Amino acid sequence: MSTLAALAEAGRETRASWRRRTTLGTAAFAVAAIVPFAIGDARTADLADGLYLACAAVGLALAVGVAGLPCLAQGAFVAVGAVAAAHLLAHGMPTAVAALAGALAGGLAGGLVGAAFARLPRAGFAAATWIVSWLVAFGLQSVPSMLGGSKGIVVAGGPSPAQHYEVALGLTALAVLGYAALARSPFGLALAAAREREPAARALGVPTTRLRAAAVAAAGAVAGLSGALAVQLAGVGDPARYGPFLSFKLFVVVLVGGGLAALGPPAGVVVLGVLSLAADALGSLEHVAAAQAHELLAAIMLLGIVSLGWDGIVRPAGRDRRAGDQAVPARAAPASLSAFSIGKRFGSLAAAEDVSLIVEPGRITALVGPNGSGKTTVLRLLAGALAPDSGRIDRAEGGVARTLQSTAVFSTLTRVEHLLVASSPRRRRAGFLRSLLATPQARAEEAAFVTEARRVLARFGLAAHADIRAGELPVSEQRLLMLAAAYATGASILLVDEPTAGASATESTRVIEQLRSLREEGLGLLVVEHNLGVVRRLADRIVVLDAGRVIAQGTPDEVAADERVRAVYLGRQSL
Amino acid sequence: MAVALQILASGFAAGTVYGLVAVGHSLVFRLTGVVHFAFGELIALGVFVTLFVAAGSGPVSQTSVGGGRFVLALGVGLLVTAAASAGAYFLAIEPYRARGSTIGWVGASLAVAFAVRTLLVVFFDRPAYVFPDPLPFRRIGSGGFWHVGGATVQVRSIFVAAAALGLAALGVRLLQRTRFGRALEAIAQDYDAAMIVGLPVARLVGIAFALAGVWAGLAAILAAPSAAFDVDAAARYGLYGLLAAAVVWFDARRALAVGIALGLIQATVSSAHLGDASLGPAYRDVIPLALGLLLFAWRAHGAAELVE
Repeated sequence: MSTLAALAEAGRETRASWRRRTTLGTAAFAVAAIVPFAIGDARTADLADGLYLACAAVGLALAVGVAGLPCLAQGAFVAVGAVAAAHLLAHGMPTAVAALAGALAGGLAGGLVGAAFARLPRAGFAAATWIVSWLVAFGLQSVPSMLGGSKGIVVAGGPSPAQHYEVALGLTALAVLGYAALARSPFGLALAAAREREPAARALGVPTTRLRAAAVAAAGAVAGLSGALAVQLAGVGDPARYGPFLSFKLFVVVLVGGGLAALGPPAGVVVLGVLSLAADALGSLEHVAAAQAHELLAAIMLLGIVSLGWDGIVRPAGRDRRAGDQAVPARAAPASLSAFSIGKRFGSLAAAEDVSLIVEPGRITALVGPNGSGKTTVLRLLAGALAPDSGRIDRAEGGVARTLQSTAVFSTLTRVEHLLVASSPRRRRAGFLRSLLATPQARAEEAAFVTEARRVLARFGLAAHADIRAGELPVSEQRLLMLAAAYATGASILLVDEPTAGASATESTRVIEQLRSLREEGLGLLVVEHNLGVVRRLADRIVVLDAGRVIAQGTPDEVAADERVRAVYLGRQSL
Repeated sequence: MAVALQILASGFAAGTVYGLVAVGHSLVFRLTGVVHFAFGELIALGVFVTLFVAAGSGPVSQTSVGGGRFVLALGVGLLVTAAASAGAYFLAIEPYRARGSTIGWVGASLAVAFAVRTLLVVFFDRPAYVFPDPLPFRRIGSGGFWHVGGATVQVRSIFVAAAALGLAALGVRLLQRTRFGRALEAIAQDYDAAMIVGLPVARLVGIAFALAGVWAGLAAILAAPSAAFDVDAAARYGLYGLLAAAVVWFDARRALAVGIALGLIQATVSSAHLGDASLGPAYRDVIPLALGLLLFAWRAHGAAELVE
């Protein structure tokens, strides 16, 4: 595609996705751009400072909103960027170099914190990032070589406040656009899936920890960039500016404005700024220092916001997704999955022992057994979610997908988005940078996968209302949706845990039909199922587990005739 | 040797207070799954209310408060801490915990922390406060210090360590031997099941929050006369306690041990020197926190129980 054609295409897409809030945002940007001509330098500097704050907050929204991580270290990342920049600027480096170094340092700090703590449950992540915030604040205050100790580092010269203002405005706009592009990309969708239901996202092959670490790194880079520029604007790197309160303030801004919308954080900064002016006025009446008035104001605002259960000023917009006709990468070739004598112990409990089985293309194998016999453990071992203590599993890379026992949908994502999350490992042009820049190739590939997602939804009978949120679907459709998502991963082997649990007879029939049709297509299926009627109707082969061991396997008739199976598992009931 | 003894005495005293706060953090987390970010600030509230009732908001010397007045002040201080802790739980934490909104309770408990901190800084606006000492330690040894083999040990610090350990032991007894303790254990095991069998879960957890605040507040008040006191000092208790608890994923006993270890590291950093090289007090927060975070990160990658 020529550059001109690509631009024309981008123009068409922009027109198609233009909304009222886009008009409002653009108008606000245009008005904001001429503000410095109307007010004095001091005010302009204050506004520029607020814009740098907004920029850092947009970065934080990626971690807090999209990824759902309670990140309390954004102020520390701002500080890291400021320290890097202050040293370079004090040695006479140009502003652009210092800004770049700040972004790099902030991104590095974010990446380190993300890599170290993104695996933790959210409470632990909040605790860790909060301690990081204090650590950096203590470091700046007590170690003079970092930011000049109590005197700070003087950073003279550089652009005028009005120039800073325009830079800050431009960067904030870019951050907003970048956020919007990332949030709708496979990267953002996978993060949202992990936010809504981490185990289900993992079962679909989403690398949750790595994506979260990347989100924190991106947030850190934006924070570092704004910290680097803000320190030059202030003229001095003052350690007192980077206490834990800065992290808290950024968190408040995101929550007040709305972390799930690109324009949320700037809106939050505006609200906080206006209220701060009021707090200053009130504080001066009561002889309270401005800093304290601001802390109290932020705290009270946040309490108000969260106690009202408010999602922020700006709500996330619905996302139209363009369909395209480009070919998508082929599904994995038919392959079998074999386990040889695998075992897994949890403490003294042998959850699986000496289990061997094979899942072949074009066949349905049922894994049955009484409660606690180790079925789900075997499924997790086969999927690679657990590592076996002994034995060997042969599986093609990316060739296995799993559904979970419960109906676990990502409630804020649409059906199409569920399938886009599932198909994201098959993308070739959806890396972080391509997503951030929304390159023509990335957009064309996205459109192709949207087409495929709609086709898969139709196949599973889910085509109607493909763009409503999955949380609003009836349970029976949620069940099918997760099966469709597992299929959309492109895997040739599906491991399906209790597909009809809690389903009515009609719903079960629908699920059974779908599973059979997948078999016809040549997929290999392993189905864990309690309902023996369903097993009988579905399975080509049955593997019976008891206390972690395989006690019988064969065709349904062979297994039904097995005395041990009758004795151990079926009792008097016969297949 | 002398230095080691000195470090041991002062580090152990601070460490036991961190450890006790860590136990409070662990108790709260086990019961509710939330991290109590306002813990340190609520401790500060207890200390400052005690100070205010004992001596007003004016300048105080260590000897200016009599025993009776101090006991009254202590009672009021602990009562306020208990009420504020329980209040913070009911108003700011429980609603979001129940809703499953992590971002909500994180925000709410931080908001409480900053609100309390600001109010304290506004009302107690001097940089640091001397806290009256009702117990006559200065009459023991030479002016409150023992000289043991070249080391100078503050008598108070031994008392603080002993008192904090005593409080910890008392807390363990309370949790293991009483109906209240068993009910809390049931809630920690399974919050919903405890509710179904008819335990007044919210009330019990509210009381547990209050007690955690009182326990840590008492330890902080006992420790307060040893050095100048300000809001940041109490915030540090909250922070070190949180770190100690988080590193061992809120296991109360091990949290106590890690808290003590942090105190010892801090004392070592402040006063140890090898030849001419020494770190000094400037690094007294940076190094223990950094080491603790490294350990936390390492455990986050190694320990299965830490993964969601």
